[in-house]
Amino acid sequence: MMNIVWAGMCFVGLAWGLAQGRGAALTEGALTAVMDAVSLSIRLAGGFALWNGMLAILEKSGALRALTRALSPVLRRLFRGVPADSPAQEAMAMNMAANMLGLGNAATPMGLRAMRLLPREADAARASDAMCMFLVVNASSIQLFPSSVIALRAAAGSAEPASIVLPSLLATTVSTAVGIAACKALERWGRRRGE
Amino acid sequence: MNDWVVPAILLLMLLCGLVRRVQVYDVFLEGARAGLRTAWDVLPCLTAMLAAVALLTASGAMEALLSGLAPALQRLGVPEGALPVLLIRPFSGSATMAMLENTLAIYGPDSPEGRTASVMMGSSETIFYTVSLYLAAAGVRRARHAIPAALLAWLAGGLASAWLCRWL
Repeated sequence: MMNIVWAGMCFVGLAWGLAQGRGAALTEGALTAVMDAVSLSIRLAGGFALWNGMLAILEKSGALRALTRALSPVLRRLFRGVPADSPAQEAMAMNMAANMLGLGNAATPMGLRAMRLLPREADAARASDAMCMFLVVNASSIQLFPSSVIALRAAAGSAEPASIVLPSLLATTVSTAVGIAACKALERWGRRRGE
Repeated sequence: MNDWVVPAILLLMLLCGLVRRVQVYDVFLEGARAGLRTAWDVLPCLTAMLAAVALLTASGAMEALLSGLAPALQRLGVPEGALPVLLIRPFSGSATMAMLENTLAIYGPDSPEGRTASVMMGSSETIFYTVSLYLAAAGVRRARHAIPAALLAWLAGGLASAWLCRWL
């Protein structure tokens, strides 16, 4: 997917620029950009190191386990076909808890495990309702504290790098709520069409 | 007004560790090492995306595209400068990071464009990557309504980002 996106961006840029006779600007732009990318990643590395270090402390202190426990009543309501305290539910709760805390590396293995444990359709090639819901919740971010955005804003010289915390939390709540509602509605619609 | 957010969260994290008797310094170093590796891992993607964006900008194609979409965006209340971040968001996380950096550099991190783009980055995830990875793990081929529902969530998150940034 990214192959097409990236190739399209480069192709349109190069072809359009050459057609407009902006060869010099293209060369300079591309070279400046890759140099900026290198210096940006060095500036970002500091912020990433700080947040990841603190997150590791939080993870070790058992926050992940506490959040996982707190999530299980929510999951029971969201995934009616999945029994409470089943391994599938536990894996989903751990995945979501890790996502909320911004521990992407911990979230992915748990998410993959949950996908393998979730109830299946009779036709095994089709995603079940529970799988679809889990995918949608995962695809609409539920991160509580956007630490890498804050690191980027600080690197760009923002006077208030954390001023986006509250709007981010609200926006992500909206996107997750819309995703869940859309998922439920499409599920019902598909069933009515006798899918 | 938000000055206290970052230090307060850092303090909270530290206290959690101290209360549970975590070896905070050693654990911090471990996490920091992972963080540094992340910065190193996203560098190839940053170079690829920033170069592609630079080509689009230097050629004038970006300007043409944005000015074509401007009236529609204005009606929806989305600042033009935040659009590239929104459009790339479902495809790749590190590419979104590159787009956001670009927007912050052009408009400034505290401009409406910069703030909206920042919030957009956090309002959604990489839909296509997540869905294909997770489906592959379950050995499932047909995603049914997962992609349309996720795209609706993405769109709602993008619009909400733009509107929230005007009020907050």
